[in-house]
Amino acid sequence: MQDLLWLVPGLPLLGFLVLSLAGGRLSRPAMAAVGTGSVGASAMVATLVALGFHEPFRQVLWEWMRVGEFAPTIGFRLDALSLVMILVITWVGFLIHAYSCAFMAGDAGYRRFFAIMNLFVAAMLTLVLADNLLFLYLGWEGVGLCSYLLIGFWYQDPANGRAARKAFIVTRVGDTAFAIGLFFLIAQVGTLDIEEAMTRAGSISAATAAALLLGGAVGKSAQIPLQVWLPDAMAGPTPVSALIHAATMVTAGVYLIARTQALFALAPVVQTMVAVIGAATLLLGGIGALAQRDIKRVLAYSTMSQIGLMFLALGLGAWPAAIFHFMTHAFFKALLFLAAGSVTLSLHHEHDIFRMGGLWKSLPISFATFLIGAASLSGMPFVTAGFFSKESILGSAWERGVGWWSVALVGVLLTSLYIFRVVFIVFFGEAKTSVAPRRDVLLTLPMVALAILALVGGWIPIPVGVFEPHVGVASVVSMAGIVIAWSLRAPLAFPGVDFDGLYERAFVRPFLRLANAVGRDPADAVSFGPAWAAATAHRLASATQTGSLRWYAAGIVFGGVVLLAVVLWW
Amino acid sequence: MSGRDVVSLLPMLMVAGGAVATMLVAGFWRRHRLAQRVTVVGLALGFVSVLWIDSETPRHVTTLLVIDRFALLFMGLLTAASFTIAVLSTGYWDRKGGRVEEFYVLLQVAALGGMVLAASRHLVSFFLGLELLTVPLYPLIAYSRAEDRSIEAGVKYLVLAAGSAAILLFGMALLYAEAGTLEFGRLGGGLAPAGLALILVGVGFKLGVAPFHLWVPDVYEGAPAPVTALIATVSKGAMFAVLLRFLQMTGMTPSLEAALGVIAIASMALGNVSALLQDNVKRLLGYSSIAHLGYLLVALLAGGIDVAAYYLLAYFATVLGAFGVVMALSGRDRDADDLADYRGLYWRQPGAALVLVASFLSLAGLPITGGFLAKVFVVVSGLRSGLWMLVAALAVTSAVGVFYYLRVIVTVFRKVEEAPPSPRLSRAAGAVLGIVMGLLVWLGVWPEPFQRIMVSAAGALR
Repeated sequence: MQDLLWLVPGLPLLGFLVLSLAGGRLSRPAMAAVGTGSVGASAMVATLVALGFHEPFRQVLWEWMRVGEFAPTIGFRLDALSLVMILVITWVGFLIHAYSCAFMAGDAGYRRFFAIMNLFVAAMLTLVLADNLLFLYLGWEGVGLCSYLLIGFWYQDPANGRAARKAFIVTRVGDTAFAIGLFFLIAQVGTLDIEEAMTRAGSISAATAAALLLGGAVGKSAQIPLQVWLPDAMAGPTPVSALIHAATMVTAGVYLIARTQALFALAPVVQTMVAVIGAATLLLGGIGALAQRDIKRVLAYSTMSQIGLMFLALGLGAWPAAIFHFMTHAFFKALLFLAAGSVTLSLHHEHDIFRMGGLWKSLPISFATFLIGAASLSGMPFVTAGFFSKESILGSAWERGVGWWSVALVGVLLTSLYIFRVVFIVFFGEAKTSVAPRRDVLLTLPMVALAILALVGGWIPIPVGVFEPHVGVASVVSMAGIVIAWSLRAPLAFPGVDFDGLYERAFVRPFLRLANAVGRDPADAVSFGPAWAAATAHRLASATQTGSLRWYAAGIVFGGVVLLAVVLWW
Repeated sequence: MSGRDVVSLLPMLMVAGGAVATMLVAGFWRRHRLAQRVTVVGLALGFVSVLWIDSETPRHVTTLLVIDRFALLFMGLLTAASFTIAVLSTGYWDRKGGRVEEFYVLLQVAALGGMVLAASRHLVSFFLGLELLTVPLYPLIAYSRAEDRSIEAGVKYLVLAAGSAAILLFGMALLYAEAGTLEFGRLGGGLAPAGLALILVGVGFKLGVAPFHLWVPDVYEGAPAPVTALIATVSKGAMFAVLLRFLQMTGMTPSLEAALGVIAIASMALGNVSALLQDNVKRLLGYSSIAHLGYLLVALLAGGIDVAAYYLLAYFATVLGAFGVVMALSGRDRDADDLADYRGLYWRQPGAALVLVASFLSLAGLPITGGFLAKVFVVVSGLRSGLWMLVAALAVTSAVGVFYYLRVIVTVFRKVEEAPPSPRLSRAAGAVLGIVMGLLVWLGVWPEPFQRIMVSAAGALR
């Protein structure tokens, strides 16, 4: 069974190739079957591999190239960390694909949608399975590319194109740091093999390497200060948002830090930085979520904040807790997105929560599943998966000090506050819009499956003592959040934290002003010089092409004379 | 000559037989498809027999030829390239009309000449192979008789090739005068430097490296697209094969290395710089070939025979992909060689555009294409041999080159309001282009299987 590992990323890649190269000849159901089936089959294979999993192993397919000591392979490595990742990615990805069959029905870009979704899943699986950082980087960039293509999926609207570019460019800032980190590692330890590099990392300046990797993680996982792209990324279709937020993309940073935790352990300063960034994003994301009117943007800020919680756990060295929370988060966040998608679909793509209301009667399944997702997100004690994963993070924060714990506790309060506020506004009160319920088994089944996972997905491992007093405090706090939410149903007047405006003023405008100010000065020679030199050389070289036969013959004779001179007098 | 000698010559015999059969068939039935099929079968048999006689190597057939792994590798490459050209050019000639059967005869004779070059270990077979390769090219280049450019290119090539062959022959005579033999292996030792220099002039002309490169753009532009593809692959590849074997068997001298180094740097620089603002795609590919032969010389100077062979394989696949698209888009009156013909190609013919883009990315040397890994291997072998100057020149000039390759790619994706009508790909051509593109990607991600072949072929020369 273990030999089949390469099929896990291979099958979605095959699905992408089939859809993009031969997809024009397929009927629409066949496209959906290929797109969903490839991820489903990959999920099956991942399960088979998991059943036979005893100890970590590598599967090296071949060596890509050899440059001295540096010999990156096309190879996969499976251990507990990547096993959890691939199971979540493939199964949640499969459910989202199945949901998309119905959600995207009627869209002109059906084939393009499934092709890119498959590539997205394949890239993410490559990222988490790669046994060396260069191959991981391939998946990393693939995820970035696909997110760009999917956020801007409805590219006819320029606003969506803008959102796609924003996501691409902002994450690129982090990617650049990551790439420099890779160069740094090659220069210092001479290998990008993850295991090798981690064992040799003790001898180098680990803080620099870890800080550079952290830069990449912050970009992809939308943490402060590179979080601004995530809310705008809602421009893509809802299944895309679900995929980006739950199973792929934003969790890449969490995975990267967990994977290279040996490096971070050597650099305590950087590790504390991870925790600080996580805590800040946790709080700011929660506050931002309170200020939103768009149901999907609430969920976007929620993701930001929850990933912040995972970063906090990583920074405190509790990476199993972080990965545990990644898993349950994948369940309930995908569920929330799909439920929200089914609501907007029934309301003619209405996204404003204040124009919804009283939907619990007309959309019972959406209501029930959204409620389960919200409960799991806010960590309702004992009955939800979110409770166990959140408590395992809170537990490790408790051990590291009351300070970290209280920050996390404020995050818990904010979380149940903003999400139940949405529940009350959207599903209770008086109805404000006409509802045209969409009933499709392909829409409801994935939601139900995810709802079950969001409830029981936390039972498998229970790593924390759940009856300690601080657990009780946290439970009470999250309940309190619900109560406060009931009284905060009116639109809030504060605008959240305006990072876009801040960056506009702090970076974009000064940069443009500087660029205009130094528009035509000698410093430009650095960039225009080579272009001018190349163009001049081109003119000179072209002048030798006279088209005249005599001249060509003279060229040959000239060359002959020079050659003779060289060999006779050298 | 024993029966087993004849068996080991099978690849050549197949291609020669194919040429004769095509000629005979065309004498009785002037039917394009028939001639094309006979050709395709002959070349395919040639390729298959290359694989089949692998166990017979190495084998010396008279003093003229040696059939070893190295020769077989290049014979396989040359027959495969000719096969690809024969399949891809069918639609092209259909649209051109006129009498086209002779094209296939000449194509096979040229391929045969290239195979002789790949197997020669004697100055006589060297010259015979060279002429067998060159003479068919004269009529081939001027094959589109209705076009002035084609005739002009044919005449230019005729005069220059004849002149440089004379110089080459004079160099051979000097070597003979010095050593009293014509076998590569026994020329070593007191090699007449002047003779060697003159031979290099002839070889340099065929390879199209600076300063013997001036004919390249004119001929690339004037010749019909299939013939240009033939020059770019079979003619240059075979010449490079014989150069590799010749220098390996006679040994290098420091002065020779210096001369080749100068040629390599000049080729890389002139080729890339001249191509920069070129609007004619065939000319652009001509300039690009000058640069690429320069890169190949770097591999040769670094002593990386396997590296050079890998580069040639990747280059063959790349160039055939690019010219395959040029052929597929060319119409009755003229070749699709203007950059404007490719404007918005992606929106009209995504398949052809994809192949063209892959080829140009490979020419530029970007990852996951064969061109990238081939270049990486050249750089690594150059650095290992301490050829800092050459590697630095390679790096700088390829950086310059990326500009004009990307310029074509950008053009392919431009949107146009009204598209010029373009012919559709035939099924066979589409399949062959698909295989070429698959090979291009394969060479870029999984080099190992091919590297093993190259290393074993290079071992035959040591």
